[in-house]
Amino acid sequence: MLGSALLPPPLPPWDGIHPLIVHFPIALLLVSPLFVLLGFLPKVGRGFALAGLVLMVLGTIGAYVAVESGEAGAELVTRTPEVAPVLQQHRELADTVRVLFTVLTAVWAVLLFGPALLKNKKLPAAAPTVAKIAFLVAYLLCAIVLANVGHLGGRLVHQYGVQAWFDGK
Amino acid sequence: MRTNERVPVLAGTSMFLAVVLSAAVSMGQETRPAKPEEKKEAGMTTTLDNLVTAYNGESNAHARYVEFAKKADEDGYGQVASLFRAAARAEEIHAETHGEVIKKLGGTPKADLRKPEVKSTRENLEAALKGETYERDTMYPDFLRQAKAEKNRDAVRTFNFALSAETEHAKLYKEALDNLDSWKGGKKDFYVCPVCGYTVVKVDFEKCPVCSAPKDKYEKIN
Repeated sequence: MLGSALLPPPLPPWDGIHPLIVHFPIALLLVSPLFVLLGFLPKVGRGFALAGLVLMVLGTIGAYVAVESGEAGAELVTRTPEVAPVLQQHRELADTVRVLFTVLTAVWAVLLFGPALLKNKKLPAAAPTVAKIAFLVAYLLCAIVLANVGHLGGRLVHQYGVQAWFDGK
Repeated sequence: MRTNERVPVLAGTSMFLAVVLSAAVSMGQETRPAKPEEKKEAGMTTTLDNLVTAYNGESNAHARYVEFAKKADEDGYGQVASLFRAAARAEEIHAETHGEVIKKLGGTPKADLRKPEVKSTRENLEAALKGETYERDTMYPDFLRQAKAEKNRDAVRTFNFALSAETEHAKLYKEALDNLDSWKGGKKDFYVCPVCGYTVVKVDFEKCPVCSAPKDKYEKIN
């Protein structure tokens, strides 16, 4: 019905909002290396590299919100012997991931703006490119960790039936 | 604009409002489970009743374990005494968290404290293990099912806290019973989360696995 489709959906409470948030940082952080890669293109590369930074910043902020809302939601999850270890691993790895991507975002910002700040100092010509390639490799390794966090979350939902609470008092 | 020119606009607006309102009303008319007060009238147990039962159980468990700890010290089982003290603190925390939810639901937390029956340390451990096992396997799972059906997130939270801690207590009591001789002597350190009562022998995590409280909040009890 069009009438109900025009009404905004109810916003879940903080301890039920994790599923609404969590997909944004995953998508943003997994897409941003593509922009880093496009950043190597001559002439137009700078714009892509900056777009990559914006995605990383948004994704990292999203990761913090996802972790905190996930912690709140976890209090409503009953720890059965099957669920408890997967949930614990998911939480610990999610904590690690947000730290990793905070560092990566900061490093990418330095790689983008650092050379301009150091223009009076002489750097080897290949240094920025080598640093960016090293960054990309490190980023891809962290992306694997992020994918594993998502996979553990998926197992909790689809294998063990863990659900967030959208309603209730 | 003349009055007769406004008619189509008003009709359109009122039709739109009717659509929005009817959608809102139909959303509220979905089949719903019986409310707690309706269950009460029908003689069924409600989550509030379960919370009161759990509050009473936790308060009595606290009192019982304090006495069991004294007896264990007398019997020379210093490490068992430490375990009973840690579990007593956890039960006290559970009683507090249950009590807060009871108040939130309009009830009054009140415990019928009975004089604990203190026997030998082995028998006390057996009684404690039996109690924790019942709470872990029967009482809290049943209470959780009901709280979830009533969509009472505060009750689910406090029952989850208690269930996780009682599961650990049962493990620790079993371990003590199986190796009672090695639990003799001096005190042993246990760590209790002041938020959820989770009890461990070693804080090998950054945040409480149950409630995410920082590890430095854990209380050392021996």
